[in-house]
Parts: sequence; C-alpha cells; structure tokens
Amino acid sequence: MNAFLHHFSYDFKTGIRDRSRLLMFYLFPLVFFFLVGGLMGSVNPSFVPTMVPAMVIFAVMCAALLTLPNVLVGARESGVFRSYRINGVPAASILAIPVLGTLVHMAIVGAIVAVAGTRIYGATAPTAIPGFLAGAVLVYAAYAGLGALIGVAAGSGTSAILIAQVLYIPSIILGGLMVPLSILPGALQRIALILPASHGMRVMTSLGGIGAGAGVPWASIAALGSGAVLSFVLAALLFQWDTRASQPGGARMALALLALVPYAAAALAG
Amino acid sequence: MEESVVSVRGFRKCYGATVAVRELSFDVKRGEIFALLGPNGSGKTSTLESLEGLRHPDGGELSVAGIDPSRQPRKLARLIGVQLQTSALPPAMTVDEAMRFFAGYHRVAARQGLVEKLGLGEKRSVQYAKLSVGQQRRLALAIAVCHEPRVLFLDEPTAGLDVQSRVDLHAMIRELREGGTTVILATHDMAEAEKLADRAGILLRGELAAIGTPRQLTASGARRTRISVSTENGRLLAEDVAISGAELRRRDEGYAVYFSENPGKAVAAILAWLEQAGDALVDLRVERPTLEERFLEITSASAVKGEQR
Repeated sequence: MNAFLHHFSYDFKTGIRDRSRLLMFYLFPLVFFFLVGGLMGSVNPSFVPTMVPAMVIFAVMCAALLTLPNVLVGARESGVFRSYRINGVPAASILAIPVLGTLVHMAIVGAIVAVAGTRIYGATAPTAIPGFLAGAVLVYAAYAGLGALIGVAAGSGTSAILIAQVLYIPSIILGGLMVPLSILPGALQRIALILPASHGMRVMTSLGGIGAGAGVPWASIAALGSGAVLSFVLAALLFQWDTRASQPGGARMALALLALVPYAAAALAG
Repeated sequence: MEESVVSVRGFRKCYGATVAVRELSFDVKRGEIFALLGPNGSGKTSTLESLEGLRHPDGGELSVAGIDPSRQPRKLARLIGVQLQTSALPPAMTVDEAMRFFAGYHRVAARQGLVEKLGLGEKRSVQYAKLSVGQQRRLALAIAVCHEPRVLFLDEPTAGLDVQSRVDLHAMIRELREGGTTVILATHDMAEAEKLADRAGILLRGELAAIGTPRQLTASGARRTRISVSTENGRLLAEDVAISGAELRRRDEGYAVYFSENPGKAVAAILAWLEQAGDALVDLRVERPTLEERFLEITSASAVKGEQR
C-alpha cells in the first residue's frame, strides 16, 4: 500500500511538474474549451447544450489518447521500466497508476469545464450528476484502455503518435463533439459509431440528464465497458519491459486492433 | 566449504542463431566481490542480466540466493540489488521521491542516510534529469542497496564518475562486502577489478577463459616482471645493454624497460653492470604483471585462435 501511494503521489505530481503533461492535461484542452465555447456557441447553437460532455471527452482524449501512450513508450525506451523491473515494481502498477493519476487530473479539468461551461457559455448542466460522473468515468476508462494499449503495442514514440491520431482526429470530426451525430448522413453515422467518442456522447448526455432523454443507451454502455476491459487485458498481455525484447510489431498491432471489436459490433448493431 | 550464493551451471544464452554464452559455469561465495571481465560482446551483460532475471537462459541452471531468477523474479527482486549499465529513472522524479518510491516497493523504510553517504544530500529535491551522470549513477547505487540486498550486481559502476567519487564508491563496495553482501561487478576497468575483486572471471566469446583471484590470474600468464631503470648517463639505453635473464623491450621516457621471469637476478645484474660502467642509478621500478596485461594477453591469444579457426 505504501509503495502504491508513493507511486500514485509521484505520478500525480508529474502531471503538473512535467511540462508536456501539463500542456496536454490542462492548458491545451482548457484553452481549446474557452476558444471553442465562445466561437461555436454563435456559429452552431446546437453545440451549446452538449458543450460540457463534448469538452470533457475532448480533454479525456488529449490526456488518455495523445499523452498516455507517449508516457509509456518513453519510459520503456529510456530504460525506466528496466529500473522498475529489477526493483520489483509490478507491471500492473506501471499500467494502472498513470491511468488512475490521469483520471484525477481529468476530474479537475472536468469540474472546470462543467462550471465554466454552464456559467460563462450557458451550456446545459447535467441534472443527474452521479449518472454524468459514471458516464465520464466509463468514457475515460475506454480511452485510457486504448491509450495504454497503444503505449505498450507501439514500437516507438512516433508510431504511438500516429496510431493515436488515427483515433483522435476522426473522433473530433465525427464523434458528435462539435456537431450532433444525428445530423450526419446514415453511412457516416455507422462509421462514427466505431469511435468511442460517439458512444461517450450518448452515454454522458443520457445518464447525465442533458437534453431530451432517449432512454439508457445500453449498447453504447456495453461497447465502452467491454472496449475498456478488452483494451486493458490486451495491454497487460502485450506489456513488455524492454524495447530490446520486442516481438514483431505487425503481430502486436494486429492483436491490439481486437480492442476495437466491441465498437465495431456496436456500429453494426446500429 | 564457504556458502555459494550465486551458482551458474552450464549456462547458455542465444540470440537467434548467435550463441552469446555457451556452457558457462562458476560460483560466487557469500561476501565475495566477483568481477566479470571481458571485451564487448563477450557475454558479460547476458550473464548478468540472466542472473538478475531480466533474460531467460536457453540452457543450464542459474541460482541466486537459492532462487531461480527466471522463475521467481519478484522474490528475487527483494534479495538482490542491481545497478544497470543502461537504465533510467523518470526524468521528473527527485532524489527523495526515488528513494521513497523504491524503498516502498522493497517494503523497507527509505534510508535517507544513504543519500548523504553517496554525496547526494544537497540534491534531495533535484529531479533525475537535472543530475549529472555521476550523480545519476550514485542514485542508482543508493536505490540498489536501499533494501540491504544479499547480492549486489554492478554493471560498470564507476563509468562517468570522477576520481573522488570512484574512491568513495570503492570504499562503499568494500563496506558492503564486510557486511556480508555478495557483489558481482562487470567492468572494463582492470585496475578497478584488481583493486576491488576477491576473484575475477574473464569471459571471451561467451566462454570462461580464466578464473581466479587477481593474483592467480596475473601469475598464470607469462609471469614476466617489468623492470624500469633510469640512470644518470643513460648508458643502459645508449648501449642497448643485454642483461642475463632479462629482455630489453622498450624505452619509455628515459627508462630502459626490461622484462624478466627472474626479477631478483635481473636487478642484481643491472646494478652490477651500472657499477662497473660508472653510471649511477636514478630510479628503479619493479612491477609485477597487472591484471590488464594478463587480460590483454588472454584476449590477444583468443583473437589469434579465432583467426586460425
């Protein structure tokens, strides 16, 4: 327990102490939120009601998808994992603690977005706070799982960034963050459902009581939940202590792609 | 019979078709400082990393403090300390945080006295990335010994350290040995091995070429003692004087350098010749072969063998 607390405390502090993490956890998502909040409200009024979940998901993607993989790849490449291994740090802690530390940072960012969004920009506040929080945690788990998986499966920092961008950019455009999923053409809606962000928007608006209720989106909850579990299981399986011990990259990436199966299934089911 | 803490029996390690270590066997006793020597690619790091549980052997049996390193790595981590040649800590981790972090995983209280002892007392709140190479290595050593391991593995422990830090580190290694810690060190620094090690093994192409105390290793070579002589008039040099039982090999900075298997006789002959020639002795040095010379002798013999194959 002592070791876990020291590790967690160190990791949390690093989120503020490390400039690149500070940028991606706080500065970039919050500056984006304040800019987009002002601009999008006048350009696209349909954005305002869902601003809070959309910006929370955006922040989660910045942290879990764009930052977490690099943290893991960087530590492996520089030999930090080797130091951990010879000192008995379990692989589970190496994966779990950055995920939990980042969750706390995201809770802080989420609170800022929720308060500022409703007070400054007139965004719809969640009426069911526990449901909203549960949805946010589920979305975070789904993206953190994918981030951890990319971090262990990618052969280098460059490939981790490229792989993360393949999920990140479509999520921004098609994930229902900027424009509602319902206004997309039918085929694009199907494609959008392969992205966790689309399910995240459904879950957070529905469970958070934002806008007209369309019932509990069980399919999206199942996709996010099973996607998160599958991603973490695959990340644990593919975890390696040492870059030198790498197995062929193609096989690893093929296995990692299995993490998208729940989302693909949800997209097929509509 | 002294207790053997590290046992290597028929150890074999391959990387694809390349055999890095073949049928290696040796023991290290409790409280012994054992140096593993060898040129790059000789199998030192493969052997060390397999003993540390970082690599899986392809054959043979390894035992460290009674544990098979590849089967019980977590249990092993509590009994050994390791200072790797290539490793790192998170760049933003401070010295104090590192000590608490790893002490926590070793389930011991952080020994802050160690930080002082290793000259890092004023760097407690400095991040790892901002420490000098020498300070980073000292921190790695502090972490390696924070849980008082039974076996300490050191890979090039003094690389990048200044002279004073080196002396301090050697003193600390000896102190650990006095406390019963077994130390296995891999080094390229022969003087360090000769000074520190109780025994040393020389690895060549994955095989143990020689093993013994530094004295035994040097004695098992050509056994030629170096006699360096400087005189007032430099007549030994000028006249290429032949001395019975010694061979004049080199002229180093005004010194005539002889090599002899019978140094007592050779020195007496040199002094007699000087007296007879009317020249006066300025300096006389008699040096037994060093471990480095013996190492070079073994490696060059191996290179010749390799070429003949």
